[in-house]
Amino acid sequence: MITKTWKMIFTLLLRLLALTATLAATLVMVTAHDSTEVMHFTFKAKYSYEPAFKYFVVAEAIASGYSLIVLFLSSKNSFSRLVMILDMVVAMLLISSVSAAMAVAYVGKKGNIHAGWLPICGEVAKFCNQATGALISGLLAAIMYLLLLIYSLHDTAYWMS
Amino acid sequence: MAAQDGGKSEVGVNSSPALKPKDWVLLSLRLVAFFATTAATIVMALNKQTNTVVVATVGNTPVKAAVTAKFQQTPAFVFFVVANGMASFHNCLMIVVELFGHKIDCNGLRLAIIAILDMMTVAMTSAGDGAATFMAEVGKNGNSHARWNKICDKFHAYCDRGNGALIASFIGLLILLIINVMSISKLLKPKHTTYIGVP
Repeated sequence: MITKTWKMIFTLLLRLLALTATLAATLVMVTAHDSTEVMHFTFKAKYSYEPAFKYFVVAEAIASGYSLIVLFLSSKNSFSRLVMILDMVVAMLLISSVSAAMAVAYVGKKGNIHAGWLPICGEVAKFCNQATGALISGLLAAIMYLLLLIYSLHDTAYWMS
Repeated sequence: MAAQDGGKSEVGVNSSPALKPKDWVLLSLRLVAFFATTAATIVMALNKQTNTVVVATVGNTPVKAAVTAKFQQTPAFVFFVVANGMASFHNCLMIVVELFGHKIDCNGLRLAIIAILDMMTVAMTSAGDGAATFMAEVGKNGNSHARWNKICDKFHAYCDRGNGALIASFIGLLILLIINVMSISKLLKPKHTTYIGVP
């Protein structure tokens, strides 16, 4: 029984960490904005100007809502299979959104000389820094979810065999 | 371990060389996923288009330059090719293990290892797909706020082939997700028949 409590505590801790990370990622990305004057036009940067960042914010918001709900539901055992499957879907969502946002952020930072896309981080440095922070937080959230999945699988398998 | 003695009759009756119908479903799903991910890898890896543009005119002869669009120019597409390649390798390996490797049990952890590997493949493929989709979206629509011009109007074939590879990869990802859910449910269901040697 004692080991079962430790297992539950560990899972709860992972979920709490994932909740904090997703919440932080959403908030930091939503509040990231910057604008500069270059020559005669204003160069503005916000998360909503780029579909990949919008997807990132939506996915992280869904994941934080889900984490919150499951934290409160954690005690019941009848939902455990549904929770495991939903965990997998949310993990997949998180991973793909972080990956998409990182791909676009890489172009924003380094540019893509073949396509003629110039990097924008030189002009809107504040936006870039905040977006980087949000991305790191999102990456940590995705890792937490993966750990959670692998841990619950290992736990169930070890128990069964 | 106990496969050769004792439980031979149980092995012969239940988890024998003949696969159960549910195993055939799983196997055929893996085959489809293998084809989808391999198609995505190959189409994207061979994606290249060269356009000649006239850069200047010297006297009477136009000076042409060749502009090439290749998948290697975008890191997201490189990751896409790598992720789908590894997914096809994983699917191939799982098919082989399913068909020919019934004796390999790894201390009863076989189902868990298969489920975990499936999960890692789903994670990697979804990351590759996400990155490639949004890079393709930027290439198709550009981004007026960042002053990034779209490239799909000049490189139609490149964009079309990229779209095809993406669609194939999404199909592969969906099927991999279904396979993963099936592997996990196989793992969680208490098994009475295939554990060899249990009296």
